[in-house]
Amino acid sequence: MDVKREDRVGIVVFLTPALVLFTLFFIFPIIYLIIISFMQWTGFDTPVFVGWKNYLTIFNDKVFLRSIRNNLIWALCAGFIQVPLAVVAALVLSYRPLGWKIFRTVYFFPKVISAIALATLWAAVYNAQYGLLNGLLRVIGLGHLQTNWLGTLKTAFPSVIIYWLFYIGYYMIIVLADIQGIPEEYYEAAEIDGAGRIRQSLCITLPLAKTSIVTCILLAMIDGLRQFAEVYILTNGGPANRTTVMVLYLYKAMQNYSYGTSSAAAMVLIAIGTVVILTIKNTLGRETF
Amino acid sequence: MKKRRLSPGAVLLGLGKWTFLIFLFVYAVFPVLWLAVASLKTNGELMANPFSLPQVWQFQNYKKALAVSGIARLMLNSVLVSTAATFLNVLIASMAAYTLSRFRFRGNQVLKVMFSSGILIPLNALMIPYFVLINSLGLYNTMGGLILVYTAIGIPISTFIIMGFMASVPEELEEAAIIDGACFYKRFFTLVFPLSRAGVVTAGTFQFLTCWNEFVYANLLTSSQAVRTVQLGIRYFTNQFATDYVSMYAAIIISILPSIAAYVLFQNQIIAGLTSGALKG
Repeated sequence: MDVKREDRVGIVVFLTPALVLFTLFFIFPIIYLIIISFMQWTGFDTPVFVGWKNYLTIFNDKVFLRSIRNNLIWALCAGFIQVPLAVVAALVLSYRPLGWKIFRTVYFFPKVISAIALATLWAAVYNAQYGLLNGLLRVIGLGHLQTNWLGTLKTAFPSVIIYWLFYIGYYMIIVLADIQGIPEEYYEAAEIDGAGRIRQSLCITLPLAKTSIVTCILLAMIDGLRQFAEVYILTNGGPANRTTVMVLYLYKAMQNYSYGTSSAAAMVLIAIGTVVILTIKNTLGRETF
Repeated sequence: MKKRRLSPGAVLLGLGKWTFLIFLFVYAVFPVLWLAVASLKTNGELMANPFSLPQVWQFQNYKKALAVSGIARLMLNSVLVSTAATFLNVLIASMAAYTLSRFRFRGNQVLKVMFSSGILIPLNALMIPYFVLINSLGLYNTMGGLILVYTAIGIPISTFIIMGFMASVPEELEEAAIIDGACFYKRFFTLVFPLSRAGVVTAGTFQFLTCWNEFVYANLLTSSQAVRTVQLGIRYFTNQFATDYVSMYAAIIISILPSIAAYVLFQNQIIAGLTSGALKG
């Protein structure tokens, strides 16, 4: 609608609360981080301008470099293993096999449990002495593979990221809803042309559900970049910093009163997030958020 | 109808399909079920065989869990914080969504893009600014601080979801109301808001789940048991229970029960909200 004179005040009144909150919690924090990232500051004393020093410090820190690497692996696994799994599940369920609604409900179930509770649960699964995983290996006669999953250099990081890759419910439901909105006629036409189900999925369903799939890839990759709770609970970054991630790094820097390096790390995270978003949008599609 | 002959390929595909579906099914529920069973065993039984059923169902694990963890208080805090933050968030987001989705004015498009881009900002990176902001407002270690933060961080996604629903309310309805002399506020509260109920409920459900499950800022912005939420409680279980694993498992089960109950009750609402396409962009 065009704005009428008598609506002007109302529009301002209605927009103001959201704008104030957005400014305080989204715009101001980023400006603040940019400024602090060039300062040396403990959080108590007066900040001192130090130029690029904080950035040099973190980029010379092997732990930070490893956390970037871990986050990138995490984001790629999320976008290109977890989401494709979700798409396959959505495709299968879109043919409404027996019990599809039950599958849909159950797949989404882990999403309503908090990351902290799930991580604590998985700590019990991975536990070396009485955990579910080692117990399972003993039962199926692979007892020699038992290990301290979260405490061993080789297995720690894979253990931390693999378990949630199969929790696909959220993305599956978004994609499934999109698929179910595709008009039946397209498939009838394809049927007449003799295209089989797999052919139909590849040539009709996937292209038409592209927007929701790209949205899921974006959400999943950002999720991979901002991981914190899982690592914090399962390993706190150890053993030997093998499982560290950027948010854990900046959290620990903050706890050590190095507000400057923590802010620099936060800015690197935001920059990487922006690059990832722009890359996905430019290569896969812009019609999302 | 012609009876379909099953080719070996089709059989294999069917087998693969069901293996896939059932694997994901088991994966989603089995660990939780295992934990629930383990929480009813003795520590000795758990060590001896992680898969056995308990000889005697140890319900006192739950009594102990309630006593040691102080979880009842944490739950109450979570309910208060999540309810308040959801109510405020949905109200503020609906108001913004109304102006943005239904009026053409200068800057409208810019604001829409700005709000939507907020959805993809990795919020965990903003710990220092939020900590400084909440401290300087004198809200550190208060439920008010958490409510403010949670209300704010959900604004982009809630506005985005509700905008989609409000845009689909026919303009003619509102024009008719204008002719009847309804003012801006009356049209919002008696017409557009009620007609976008589905979107408001969807946004509200997600906002509530986000608040209930939030950990990073609950951890950063509180320091005393009196204002802590459930998620923080879980983090301290490992210290509180030390090697009494079964009681700790009981505490974890207690802490996720409300989420499970809410999901069972509202699953249609949650799934319908997601399926309405609100999130697909």
